[in-house]
Amino acid sequence: MGRILALGILGTLAGAEIKVPKVPWVPEVPWVLVVLMLVLLLGKTPAAQSVSSITGTITTSAKGAAPVRVTIDQNICGSELPDEAIVVDAQGRLANAVVILTGVKRPAGGDTIVTNEKCRFGPRVQLARPKGNIRTTSKDPILHTTQAQEESGRSIFNVALPMPGLNISKPIGGAGTVRLSCNTHPWMRGWIIVTDDAAAISGADGKFTIDNVPPGTYELRVWHEALKGTPQKITVVAGKPTEINFQLR
Amino acid sequence: MWGAWCARCHAQDGTGKIAEPTVTVQPMDFTDCKLTTAEPDADWERAIAKGGPGVGLSPQMPGFEDSLTPDQISGFVAHIRGFCTQRGWPSGNTNFPRPIITEKAFPENEFLILPAVSHDKEVEIVGLYEMRLGKRSMFEVAVPVVSVPGEPRTSGIGDLEVSLKHTIFAAAHSPRIVSLGLDAVIPNGNEEKGLGHGTAFFEPFISAGAMLGNWYLQTQVKVELPVDPEKGERAFIYNGYLGRDTSQAPNTWTLGIELNGENHEVSLTPQVRKGLTGTGALGMSIGAMVPINEREERGVRWVGYLLWEFLEPLRARK
Repeated sequence: MGRILALGILGTLAGAEIKVPKVPWVPEVPWVLVVLMLVLLLGKTPAAQSVSSITGTITTSAKGAAPVRVTIDQNICGSELPDEAIVVDAQGRLANAVVILTGVKRPAGGDTIVTNEKCRFGPRVQLARPKGNIRTTSKDPILHTTQAQEESGRSIFNVALPMPGLNISKPIGGAGTVRLSCNTHPWMRGWIIVTDDAAAISGADGKFTIDNVPPGTYELRVWHEALKGTPQKITVVAGKPTEINFQLR
Repeated sequence: MWGAWCARCHAQDGTGKIAEPTVTVQPMDFTDCKLTTAEPDADWERAIAKGGPGVGLSPQMPGFEDSLTPDQISGFVAHIRGFCTQRGWPSGNTNFPRPIITEKAFPENEFLILPAVSHDKEVEIVGLYEMRLGKRSMFEVAVPVVSVPGEPRTSGIGDLEVSLKHTIFAAAHSPRIVSLGLDAVIPNGNEEKGLGHGTAFFEPFISAGAMLGNWYLQTQVKVELPVDPEKGERAFIYNGYLGRDTSQAPNTWTLGIELNGENHEVSLTPQVRKGLTGTGALGMSIGAMVPINEREERGVRWVGYLLWEFLEPLRARK
């Protein structure tokens, strides 16, 4: 009996015309995008405030070596060149030391440019990202070579630069310390620290700065071509620069 | 440019002797014709273009492919060749990869081990020493160790063979070479045990080679003449090889095929050769000698060699 009644009501509705009220056009709001933008906007502001920087000074009691006596190509190289293995000022502040913050990654960069000028590599010490390229060039009208070697001594490449103005790019490979040398001027030395960690090189005043470091506890290690330093733990607090110094022997 | 660039390490006179050397390896003496004429121009061009590692040598030799054109590099090779002032040395351009059966025409300084296994399980391992005599000649001695199947299996030293070879013609451009030689087989192997022939043989031969584009063509014709015709069979031998490298590196793969004939017996020997060190001083080859007539009686014979060019450095010094 109930089933017959229900079918009767449905039949009546099917025959009737249902009137839907007309509403003005309302654009469909892309709520997903709005929420995403809000998250990005809200998320960016606190993050900018949360990073900090690490600064410090590298010092040593070691003294710089005597100048190198030049016996080849003196018309270009001069009769002597400073030995740049240890560049230290009167206060013991050491240049060309590399401070590496383990665990804070940096994005890939461009080519690392090495310039052969007046029979020395410039800059002496550089940073590079893994899988990048070394671009070597010369300003000297004499034969230079740029040989890049891993720490193990394995040669990565060795290219000749017989005339000035050439630009030769070669892959640098993975992380590690790359030693540069010139087969025609044996005193020429350069170093490239290949790492995707945040890092900085100390200047002539021994100072270094690593920016954009999120809060946390990290290990900070230091590399120098002739001296050694002990790694240190460091805790970075949001919005407050952290200072740390190294003494190399 | 030699004086300004190359002479910095290789010396103005090409000897590699410098009063104050800036590299720690001793460069090759380019005036030593025995060393500098043995390899093809392509190897020298590769060494200049890619540096020492391109030919398995020291990485202290830099690559010039980014700073010089191929024509300029060829010019340096011609200059280096000029340091050997003696005429008459066959050009290294005619030093083709060694086939397994065909005797190459170029006189070598090599030590080889040549194993061969027949379908009837006869095993032969030949130790071969080749020594260059002067500019164009070569002396060779071969010592075979033979193992013959049977009840029981018999093994021992087979007939020794000594040879002389002399290059009568060699052209560096459109490389071609022709050599004449004579093998003498000494009947020291035990004839009753099947290890020797029981008679001496004299075997005059002619070997020739040429480049056809990128292909190596090498041929040899030899007559085997027994001193005692009752004990040994006179034979007419003809061999031909066609092959090519898969790259220009000294340790490249070389693919080839030989046609080997002895009287009425004819075989095809497809083979592959590979340099085992960067310099190519060690190499090996393996092939299958497949009969194309009398197949059921002769069967497949596996052949190959392991060679050592003993004047070449095995590996680079740092």
